[in-house]
Amino acid sequence: MTNKPPSRPEFSRRAFLKGASAVAAGSAVGHEIAAATQPESGATVFGTELHTIELTVNGKPKQVKVETRTTLLDALREGADLTGTKKVCDRGACGGCTVMLDGETVNSCMTLAFDAVGSKITTIEGLGTPDNLHPMQKAFVECDALQCGFCTPGMIVSATACVQKRGKPSLDQIKADMSGNICRCGTYTRVFEAIQKVGGQKVEGR
Amino acid sequence: MAREEYEMKVGFAADQKTVKIKIPDGDLKPWDLDTKFETVGTDVDRIDGIAKATGTAKYTFDVNLPGMLQGVMLRSNIPSGRVKKIDFEAASKMPGVRAIVPLKDPAEGRRNRVRWVGDPIAAVAADRREQALDAIEKIVVEYETSQAVIDMQDGEDAPKLEGGEITSPWPDKGNERMEEALGECKHTRSGTWFAEVQTHSALESHGHVCSWDDDKGTLEVWASTQATFGARFGLARALNIGGDKVTIHAEYVGGGFGAKFSPGTEGVACALLTREAKAPVKLMLDRFEEHTCAGNRPSALMQIRAGIDADNTITAWDYRCYGGPGYRGRGGRTTFPRSYLEDAHVRATQKDIATNTDAGRAMRAPGWPQGYFAGEGMIDALAEAAGIDPLEFRLHNESEKLREAEWRMGAEKFDWAKRWQPYGERDYGKRYLKGAGMASAMWGQMGHRGRGSPNAVKVRIHADGTVESRNGAQDIGTGMKTVLAMLTAEELQIPVGTIKVTMGDTNDPAGPASGGSTTTPSLAPAARLAAGMAKNELRTLVAEHLRVEEDKVTVENGRWGVPGGKTLLFEEACKLIGPQPIEKVGERTSNYKGYKNNVCGCQFAEVEVDTRTGFVRVTEMLGIQDCGTVIAKKLAESQVLGAMIGALSYTLHEQRIMDPKSGRMLNGDLMMYKIAGAADMPKLTAHMFPVANGKNSVGAAGLGEPPSVAGPAAIANAVANAIGAPVRNIPITPDQVLAAIDSKKGGK
Repeated sequence: MTNKPPSRPEFSRRAFLKGASAVAAGSAVGHEIAAATQPESGATVFGTELHTIELTVNGKPKQVKVETRTTLLDALREGADLTGTKKVCDRGACGGCTVMLDGETVNSCMTLAFDAVGSKITTIEGLGTPDNLHPMQKAFVECDALQCGFCTPGMIVSATACVQKRGKPSLDQIKADMSGNICRCGTYTRVFEAIQKVGGQKVEGR
Repeated sequence: MAREEYEMKVGFAADQKTVKIKIPDGDLKPWDLDTKFETVGTDVDRIDGIAKATGTAKYTFDVNLPGMLQGVMLRSNIPSGRVKKIDFEAASKMPGVRAIVPLKDPAEGRRNRVRWVGDPIAAVAADRREQALDAIEKIVVEYETSQAVIDMQDGEDAPKLEGGEITSPWPDKGNERMEEALGECKHTRSGTWFAEVQTHSALESHGHVCSWDDDKGTLEVWASTQATFGARFGLARALNIGGDKVTIHAEYVGGGFGAKFSPGTEGVACALLTREAKAPVKLMLDRFEEHTCAGNRPSALMQIRAGIDADNTITAWDYRCYGGPGYRGRGGRTTFPRSYLEDAHVRATQKDIATNTDAGRAMRAPGWPQGYFAGEGMIDALAEAAGIDPLEFRLHNESEKLREAEWRMGAEKFDWAKRWQPYGERDYGKRYLKGAGMASAMWGQMGHRGRGSPNAVKVRIHADGTVESRNGAQDIGTGMKTVLAMLTAEELQIPVGTIKVTMGDTNDPAGPASGGSTTTPSLAPAARLAAGMAKNELRTLVAEHLRVEEDKVTVENGRWGVPGGKTLLFEEACKLIGPQPIEKVGERTSNYKGYKNNVCGCQFAEVEVDTRTGFVRVTEMLGIQDCGTVIAKKLAESQVLGAMIGALSYTLHEQRIMDPKSGRMLNGDLMMYKIAGAADMPKLTAHMFPVANGKNSVGAAGLGEPPSVAGPAAIANAVANAIGAPVRNIPITPDQVLAAIDSKKGGK
C-alpha cells in the first residue's frame, strides 16, 4: 500500500473515534489544516464540524466538506459525487474502494480525506470514460471479468496498477497483486484473463 | 384461446424426442433442436459492462439526492430477551438528527421480543451518517435478558453426537421397512456430515434510498433488491398505502444470492424515516450488519446410511438432516441427489433447530449444496465399498440420460482416469498428495407465467431505428439485460449493440423475483414474443409501403421485403414509423411439456493437500452445465465459473464464528470471515451443454442455482481421494485434514 510523505499530518480514523485524547491530538494538527484550508466555522477545536478541503481528483480540484474523521472514500462518494469507487467493507479488507494516491493503490476507506490533501487521486472515473475506455476497462468488458459489477471499479484500479508496476505480469504475480480485491460473484479467473490481455501494453493512469 | 398444433424436436444429440404441443394463439413457435441461431448462443459482451467498468453504473448505494439524510439502525446487543424501555430523549437532541423511528414496542408482547444480536430496535436519520451513528449511541435501551441458544447443538431436540457422529435413534416411522432394505444390502455405509453457516456477503449491502412526497403521498425508492415488485408490495404494505403509490428503481444491483427478496426491516425503517423527516433518506447496512442481520445459508447436520446390492445398485438410502436456520426455526431443509436412487428404498427426515442467531434465507440453491455434500460423499463411500471407480459407480446408478452424457463429457475433458487415485493406502511421507472428486447437480425450474399480471416484456421500435426492450424486474449481475438484448436482436435480425435494455423500474411490465433461477426462463419467452410482435407490426408497415401483401414480406439477411423484389434495411424500414414508436408487450405463456423438467450438470475437482500443514489447495475445477438454450454463452460460462469459485470458498474457507456467550459473530467482517480470493484460484473451466428443452418458445433455463450444487461435494470428495480419508465438515479446515490423516496413520 502507500507510503505517506512525512509532511502529511498523521492521525488515524481509529484514534478519532476513541474520544477525548484523540480530539486533543487532532486539534493540534488541525490548526495547520485549518490555517491551510480556512474552515468556514473558524473552529479551533476539531470535533464533528465540517471543514472545506480541496482534493485533486482525476487531475481536477474538488472542494469537499468533511469532518476530520471523514474517510477519503466518503469524501469522494458523497462530497465529490464520484460514486464509481465503492463502499463494501469500510475496513480495508476487500479492495472495493481502491483508488490511486500519487500512483500507488490505497484503500480509500482506510485513508482520511485530510490525508489525501495535496496528493494526486485517481479513481475509476479518471482511468477512462464510456466513450474513451481505458485498455483495462475494455479488457474487463471483453473478458466478461464482471458480473454484478460492484467489485469491478476497485478490481480495475488494482489491475491497472499491477500492469503499470509489472509490465507483463505472470499469473502468480497477478494473483498476488489482486489479492486485496474480493469478488463475491466469482470473476477472478476472468479478471486474470483481462489483465493478461493488457499485460505488456503501456497503460496510463492519470 | 385458439391453439395451433406444433411438432418439435427436443433433447440433445444423443437423446432426441419429438413432442407435439399446442401453441396458444399469438405465441411464437418454440425453438427446437433444428433451429439455427444468428445471435443466440454466441459470445456477446455484457451490455452493461461498460457502465460497470467505468463506474458510471449507479447502484442504490450510489444514489445521492439533494437534501438526502443518512439513516442508521440501532440493533440489539443481546441475543435473547425483551425490550423493557427505550429512551430517545438524548438521541433526539443530537446534532443533525431529523427523525427517529422505533422498531420495537416495549408495551406489546410480540413487538418487544429480542431474538438475536442484531434484532432491529430503532432507526435514526440525520444530516450526515456520522451524526446518525453518534445519535444511536445515545438511545437508551433497557433489556430483560433470557437464556439464549447460540449453538445448534444446545437447541431443543438437538441430536446426540459422539465423536462427530449422530447417535440418536433413527425415527420410528417407516423404520422397519428401512431396516429391512438395509439388511438386504450386500454392503452398507453410514456417516455424519456437517456444513457450517455461510453468509451471502453480497458486496453491495442491503439498503434503500427512500424519498417520500408528502403532497402526493407517494414513495420513490431505490432498492438493492432481487425483487423489485416484492419491494413495492412490502413497502406499500408497511406504509399502509396503495401499491400504485410506490415506485421502485433497481437499475444496478450489487449481488443478491438469495438474501435480497424482501425490503426487510431496514427498508421499512428507511421508508418510515423519509415520511417522518419529509426528506430523502439513504439507509445501507454496514458490513457487520450484512453478516449478522441480512440472512445466511443455514447450517446442516446430516446423517446417511445407505447400501448397495451385489450388482452395485443402490437399494437403500436413509437420510436425516437437522437444519440450523436461526431464530425463525425454519428454512433449514436440505436436498440430496435422487437420480442415483431409482431402485432404492428411500427415507428422508428433516428437522430444524432454532437458535438465537440471524435467520437463514435462500442462498444459491437453498439446501442443495449441503445435501449434495453429504449425498455425493455417501455415493463415493458406496463406490469404495463396491470397489469400483466413482465414475463407473455413478454411471451405473445414474437415471438421467442427460447427466450420463455430461459425466462422460466431463470425465474425458477432465482426464478423470488419470487424476483419480485408486483406493488403497496413501503415502503420508509425501509432502503433497493429489486427488480428484466429482459430483452431480440438479435444479428443477423452468420459469413461470407469473401471478397477478403475467411476466411480460415491452419492446419499442422508434423511427430513428432505436430499439428498446423493457421489463420491471432486475438484473442482479446474472446478465439478464444482455439476455433480453440478444433475444430481441435474434428476432429482429439486428446487432445486439443497437438494443437498449431497461430493467429495474416497477413502472415497466411485471417480472419475477430473481430467485430459483427463474428470471431468464420466465422473461426470455416474453422478450422474444414482444420482439416478434413488434417485428410483425414493422412488417405490416413495410408491406403497406411496398404495396405487397403482408405475408409476402420476409426478413432475410437483415433485409425487409419481398425476396427478389424491393427490400429495405432495418433502419430504412424504421423510417416508416411515425412519431409514436411501435410498442408491443409480450406476455409469458405457461410452460409446455417439453423435453424434461429439470437441468442437470456435474463438476470435477482436483486438490493438492499439504500433508504437513493440512492445507488444501484446489488445483483445478471443471463444470459441465446444461441450461436449455444457451443464450449469452460467455455470460453463462461466467456464472458457472462464479458458482465454482463460490463453492471453493464455501467448502474450504467460509466460517461464521459465534461467541456462545454473547451470541455475537466474532468474525463479522471481510478480514476474518474469509472469502476465497485471487490467490486461491485454481484453473477453472466451464462447458455449456446445450439442450433443446422445448418448455417454452425460447427453451431457456436459469443459471443461478444449477452450477452451485455440485462444487462443495466435488471438492470434498477430491480431498478424501487425496488423503484416503474423508473430512465431513465444511469448511474443510487444515486441522481436520491433519486429524483425518492421523486417524489413518493410527489405523495402520
